[in-house]
Amino acid sequence: MARELTHGASADSVGTRPRVAAQPFLRRNVPILALIGLLVVSGVYFSLASDTFLTLGNFLNIVRQSAPALILAVSMTMVMTTRGIDLSVGSLTAMVGGVGAVLMRDGWSVWAAIVVMCAIGVVAGSVNGFFVAYQGIPAFIVTLAGFTAFRGIALILTEGFSIPMRDERFVWLGQGTIRNVPVPVVIALVFGIIGWLVFNKTPFGMRLVAVGSNPEATRRSGVNTAALLLRVYVISGLAAAVAAIVIAARLGAGSSNAGLGLELEVITGVVLGGTSLFGGIGTMTGSLLGVFLIAMIANGLILLRLDPFYVPVVQGRFSWARCGCTPMWRVSATLRRDSF
Amino acid sequence: MVTPEEHEDGGSVPGLDTPEPDDFVLQASDLTKSFGSVAALRGATLELRAGEVLGVVGDNGAGKSTLIKTLSGVVAPDRGTIFFAGELVHFSSPRAARSLGIETVYQDLALCEHLTVARNLYLGRELTRHGLPWLDDRRMARSAEQFLERLGIVAVPGDAVVRNLSGGQRQAVAVAKAVAFSPRVLILDEPTAALGVREVEQVLDLVRRVRADGVGVILITHRMQDLFEVCDRLLIMYEGTDIARLTTKNTTLEEIVYYIDGGSGREHQRAGSITSAS
Ligand SMILES: Nc1ncnc2c1ncn2[C@@H]1O[C@H](COP(=O)(O)OP(=O)(O)OP(=O)(O)O)[C@@H](O)[C@H]1O
Ligand SMILES: [Mg+2]
Repeated sequence: MARELTHGASADSVGTRPRVAAQPFLRRNVPILALIGLLVVSGVYFSLASDTFLTLGNFLNIVRQSAPALILAVSMTMVMTTRGIDLSVGSLTAMVGGVGAVLMRDGWSVWAAIVVMCAIGVVAGSVNGFFVAYQGIPAFIVTLAGFTAFRGIALILTEGFSIPMRDERFVWLGQGTIRNVPVPVVIALVFGIIGWLVFNKTPFGMRLVAVGSNPEATRRSGVNTAALLLRVYVISGLAAAVAAIVIAARLGAGSSNAGLGLELEVITGVVLGGTSLFGGIGTMTGSLLGVFLIAMIANGLILLRLDPFYVPVVQGRFSWARCGCTPMWRVSATLRRDSF
Repeated sequence: MVTPEEHEDGGSVPGLDTPEPDDFVLQASDLTKSFGSVAALRGATLELRAGEVLGVVGDNGAGKSTLIKTLSGVVAPDRGTIFFAGELVHFSSPRAARSLGIETVYQDLALCEHLTVARNLYLGRELTRHGLPWLDDRRMARSAEQFLERLGIVAVPGDAVVRNLSGGQRQAVAVAKAVAFSPRVLILDEPTAALGVREVEQVLDLVRRVRADGVGVILITHRMQDLFEVCDRLLIMYEGTDIARLTTKNTTLEEIVYYIDGGSGREHQRAGSITSAS
């Protein structure tokens, strides 16, 4: 850029002036460290209580089961960093899965069906994004409408049945492995890495934080904030489509019950990870760890043969424990960007 | 002491100080803007030459900020025209105005608290590596820091988060952001409100330097001494209109205050001066 930074004074006008201290690594990362602490403590506990918990197989199992939530945590972090929320993603996975199952039943090829499924995610995300970004309707309300409507459409399409999807290549996406690593784990990993890079290292990611921090200032800086917001909901819709493919392939069926409560699981994990509901603060690493923690607790409790009805109660306790870290985290919320 | 009446007799009628139209970098006429039932601008006119500093003064709520927001594309006027370098422009967004080289320090600073100083400075114009959408944070931080140091208002590290900065440091960042990219028009809406004496001098110095480079500067301030120090001309706003234009070297504080009060308090003022004389 040739036009950058002109009109400087001569250097002699500079004296000694107060400087802002950079914050130490530890203080900067209190939320993430608190989360890692919770992971370690509960991990050690489950390992002692169950001899199957601490095995590579079980670890991959946890990640495989939480793959759809991990994929959605990436996009949800972006959405929530802009002060938004997307409640429609769980229902959207049901709708996308239902459409895919109907198409394949009617003789569509796997790849054509996958393309259509992704396209539906993009279109649904654009509709959400349009109302949020260009009509100024609160994201909560817009996506709550999607939350109801998308599952309703899935019900109509599938007539409430679970429609089988038996094509081997499709099922591989949910049940196959690459060098012993489950395919959903690979997909979630790729999604997580790309999401981290986009969020932390690109102008797009930086502008997401900016618009969540101060939308009007971002607009005045010359950023097209409406287009930015539209794009983030499109990404959310696309992530829901990918999650839907993983879910349907794992079940070998498209069902209107797919992804029930998924959006809440994702939001809980993201908030647990340290992303602010009020925008401007988001951490990809934290979100992924948060979602993993929730899945790990469920897994550990099941291995301990706890009555499944109690699992959500224990998970809720962990959210409280995490909230206990909030005061510390407020103090250091300052330099938290750029950290992970 | 020169009273407003004597001035008018002397031919310095408001409006006659208007320069020739050919060298205007910015010319706005008849700008009107209402927010609901509040008429913030009622046909304001402003012209600015390259290489001059125009002071805009007026009471709180006179419409100064709204006026400059129409010039920077933040607020779309209900009516009125804006010419930039002789061409009619319609700013659909702040981006449009910024791309022409109209840079603004807003009264509320308009910084993103959660971003670093460097990222704030470069927001919307990020430095990237090898033409890829890949932020070059180190280069942005280094060059932001050096730039702030050269500006000499307040030194701030490029990687500090704005939320941790003092009011004056933030103001320095906002000013730096506006002058960093070679503006053709620089608009400053109370840029010195949070600054100490020495820092104010640095900003006024900066204004002089920028003027010497041929930039047109609009300076809104409530500090009368700043007006006399750097402004070539003054535009006085009263209830949404430009009530007077004055040349700084031919005017007095009394005359400015007289117009800020709406220019209609003449009887009152005369009465006041008689009282004080007797
Ligand atoms: N976005 C807005 N919505 C509603 N009213 C507004 C808005 N912006 C400005 N106004 C009103 O317009 C009028 C002019 O405001 P403006 O900010 O331009 O004044 P000002 O001259 O900059 O005052 P100050 O010296 O206090 O900064 C005020 O009555 C204000 O309340
Ligand atoms: Mg103002």
